[in-house]
Amino acid sequence: MNKELEHQFVTELENNQNIVHKVCSLYANNRDAHNDLFQEITIQLWKAYPKFRGDSKFSTWMYRVALNTAITLYRKSKRRPATYDYDSVVYKISAEEYDPTQEQQLSLMYSAVRQLSDIDKALVFLYLEDKNYSEIAETLGISEVNARVKMNRIKTKLRTILNP
Amino acid sequence: MLDELDLLKKDWQKKETNLPRLTYEEIYKMIWKKSSSVVRWIFYISIIEFLLPHLLYLIPSFRNEMDYNFAKSLGINNWIIALTIIQYAVAIYFIFQFYRRYREISVLDDAKKLMKKIFRTRRTVKHYVLFCLAMVLLIFGVFIVGMALDDNLVETLNIKNQNVDPDQLKWLLIGVMTVAGILFTGVLAGIYFLLYGLLTRKLSRNYIELKRMEA
Repeated sequence: MNKELEHQFVTELENNQNIVHKVCSLYANNRDAHNDLFQEITIQLWKAYPKFRGDSKFSTWMYRVALNTAITLYRKSKRRPATYDYDSVVYKISAEEYDPTQEQQLSLMYSAVRQLSDIDKALVFLYLEDKNYSEIAETLGISEVNARVKMNRIKTKLRTILNP
Repeated sequence: MLDELDLLKKDWQKKETNLPRLTYEEIYKMIWKKSSSVVRWIFYISIIEFLLPHLLYLIPSFRNEMDYNFAKSLGINNWIIALTIIQYAVAIYFIFQFYRRYREISVLDDAKKLMKKIFRTRRTVKHYVLFCLAMVLLIFGVFIVGMALDDNLVETLNIKNQNVDPDQLKWLLIGVMTVAGILFTGVLAGIYFLLYGLLTRKLSRNYIELKRMEA
């Protein structure tokens, strides 16, 4: 039974690991920190897995656990440098769609997003993942109205960073 | 003009192919690793905090200070026994309360509720620590009052010295005891609040931000 549960969990996570990697790419500054956070999220997902009853999709449930770990549970290890040094891992643009102006703007956008607070990043992340405001609000424990207001503020903030 | 964030969204969803990919074995290995979450840290540190006042009795000088005979000769023995019973009763209550709240912490709650529950658990320990600090002060206080009320303190302690006026020596001892009591409590409080502050710095910052959103 336990073996079966392990197998089921690891398979599901393997198939949906992109969600966790994306969270890590926003909250971790380098490859080591990325792996560290990925591991902590995996542990938390596994611990909570017996309570996952399949009444929501595995991926939906993952968003909540992954973000909770990144915002609340995960403690950055002091040994890791705080500098951001792995743009090349996640934010590569494929060669065929290379557009210098757009690429520059996107890379500015990504670095602007990285400068946001943990909570703002969570909002942006869910927004980028195409979650609606009621889902965003529910994940963070705020009202839908406040999620909207906050998102508009973040947009203004990002616009100011991009067009000083 | 296209919303900047929507531009980013389009790009973000294309990025999937560039993400790292872990194998089944790599993920399988990870589920057996130990968590280093703040909740686990709080759990360990809280256990140390529950044990610490009891571990202090293992230090010889501390045990001597609280020596039964000394208390007995000062006539405050019953007070000390009463305080000890209260201390254990309260400790058991706090441990029960702590365990209950610790079990309530669930990563499946929304972010705000999760943070709130962690703080509630932590607050239980904080109250316990404050209680212990108050008890330490109180025990010092009982000793000080006992010493002050003892007319023959110098004889009681068997430290009679021809060159020093017994009365002066008595007040000097009381002074030393008072300073020691305050310093000891202060240092314990300092260590505790520093540890607590460092451990929950990120958590507090994010919790305040979420709460401010709702204000």
